[in-house]
Amino acid sequence: MSFIWIRLSAIGLRLPICAFACFIPLAASLNWASATEQVVIASTGGAYDRALKAAWFDPFTKETGIQVVTVVATNAEMRAKASAMVKAGNVTWDLYLDGEIQAASETHRQATEDLSGFCQQFANRKDLSPNACAPGGVLLQSTATLLVYRTGKAGEPVPETWADMWDTKKFPGGRAFPSFDDPWRVMAAALLADGVAKDKLFPLDVDRALAKLDQIRPAITLWWKTGDQSVQGFRNNEYSLGQIWLTRAKAMQTEGLPIAWSSKASFLVGDRISLIKGAPHRENALKLIAFWLKSPKAQAQACEVLSCTPPSSDAIALMSDQARKTMPGADDIRNSIVVPDAEWINANAAMLLERWNNWIR
Amino acid sequence: MRQPQPSTRSCWPRARSMRSYAPAVSWILVAPAIAILAIGFLYPLLRLIMLSLSAGPSATYGRLLREPLYATVLASSIVTAVSVTFACIVLGYPVALAMARLRKRAAALTTACVLIPLWTSVLIRSYAWIVLLQRNGLINSLLIAEGLTQGPIKLLYTQGAVILAMTHVLLPFAILPIFSILRAVPNDYVRAAHSLGAGKVKAFFLVTLPLSLPGVFAGAILCFVLALGFYITPALVGGPESMMMASLIGQQTTVLLDWPFAAALSTVLLAITLLIVVAFRKSLSFSKGLSSVY
Repeated sequence: MSFIWIRLSAIGLRLPICAFACFIPLAASLNWASATEQVVIASTGGAYDRALKAAWFDPFTKETGIQVVTVVATNAEMRAKASAMVKAGNVTWDLYLDGEIQAASETHRQATEDLSGFCQQFANRKDLSPNACAPGGVLLQSTATLLVYRTGKAGEPVPETWADMWDTKKFPGGRAFPSFDDPWRVMAAALLADGVAKDKLFPLDVDRALAKLDQIRPAITLWWKTGDQSVQGFRNNEYSLGQIWLTRAKAMQTEGLPIAWSSKASFLVGDRISLIKGAPHRENALKLIAFWLKSPKAQAQACEVLSCTPPSSDAIALMSDQARKTMPGADDIRNSIVVPDAEWINANAAMLLERWNNWIR
Repeated sequence: MRQPQPSTRSCWPRARSMRSYAPAVSWILVAPAIAILAIGFLYPLLRLIMLSLSAGPSATYGRLLREPLYATVLASSIVTAVSVTFACIVLGYPVALAMARLRKRAAALTTACVLIPLWTSVLIRSYAWIVLLQRNGLINSLLIAEGLTQGPIKLLYTQGAVILAMTHVLLPFAILPIFSILRAVPNDYVRAAHSLGAGKVKAFFLVTLPLSLPGVFAGAILCFVLALGFYITPALVGGPESMMMASLIGQQTTVLLDWPFAAALSTVLLAITLLIVVAFRKSLSFSKGLSSVY
């Protein structure tokens, strides 16, 4: 008898997690469905969500009367869930956010609608960057993963390149690198530090990258998995030099922490808004993404907060000088920022991850 | 805690056996459970196994065998699960004993202390450990203030942190089965042992402990099975070297969307878990007096 009870509680251990993660937002979206026109979008939540809501969703609802329902999940969860919904033929979301690289992958194509037809209306828009509307999704924003460091006294040398990140004599202190199952950017940094030219980076020489990483490994004090870990780690003095997201670095600078970064050691990354195949509110979803591309004001407002580069140059013009200075600009992208080879990364994702797992554990 | 009446104490408390009903009645009674198991568990399991074979066994199971990564991660997951189980039993037994022996109010308080964490999200409990273990967290501050260490020591993102946090999360699963058995052990047995000249320690080791072993084994199996599939806690408090099988399955499911391979990894983990549990029970059934291990 007692065992049956215990067995039930064993299942109960799993239930609360799932209830918080998926059932509550879904239940909320079901309630909305009967009342008003709506569109369901999955995003990563937190500060990111709040900025998008204020700048994009709320003005959209005001103009069209369509309610925007957000569902919170991590990028990986969204990808898996969108794919599962399409396979099961039971799609409850309309839009979700996916990384720039993943949005170019074959698995992404299988779960999302090709937006080529939709994109034609933006072909003549000179203010939009050329990749703003792609078959895999509409560009939400671009930002960078880059080298950040703790600022010391004035006049002290500051790290500028990935080679400086590896130079533990000149720049002592702990190092931080991401470890969230997407290892290309760590390997790419290692190769750049080892003297590989920016335009020769891809295809990545994995053996050489891992050998170079062996050199820095003893100095790595933090492997961060979530953006919050990279922030908390810096606050706690767990590292002095790290590879983290620009958006988080900017947030820490605003907070008053002694942090600075080098745009000479950075990778361009971005988020795309993708339309799931068989989306229940397809028309509303298309209206929502068209609203984003057509409204530089919304883009400027969101990126002002998040320190990202919006897809429209008109939006960049609307932003404050200070925000423009911290975001990756067109000149940076041309001269120093590395734009990853999404096609190669996607084609080799399984190999990269297996090599990485083998090295890191 | 209310004491059971002497009449019910006279025999080992067990659920009424299937043999006490007519076979037809028994089948009707278990039919709903069998139906739920078949639809909710066996059918999805079958689909999982089929999915793992859909890409061809050499692409999934072959890769699992060819690449040593998967065997080493599996082995280290088992080692972690065994350590956590051991810690849970050692730490949980005294708590269960206290819960069974204490008087009304104290027992209710102890039970609440065990149950409230059980009802709290694993996520929250794991984050609590981050707060305690981080570089300038409570434990490091204490150590430095007491002059025990010079600078902060690395506690978070280590294998030790994983075992500590997992033990904390799984402790109720060790305590409750032991408690339920201990409470059913009549105090008369201990008194009888005392009257025959056994001291407190001797009575415990000769009477209470052997009688409570079924609970210990039930708790151990529960903890072990749950620990082997743990995902959230190692991801939050562990470093990259504390990689568990569940993290690898998660990577394949959500990052690479290679579901056939994820299904193969899950099937192997399930098979190994079943194998270990069956072997454990088999080895117990050889020992006399443990027939009531569930």
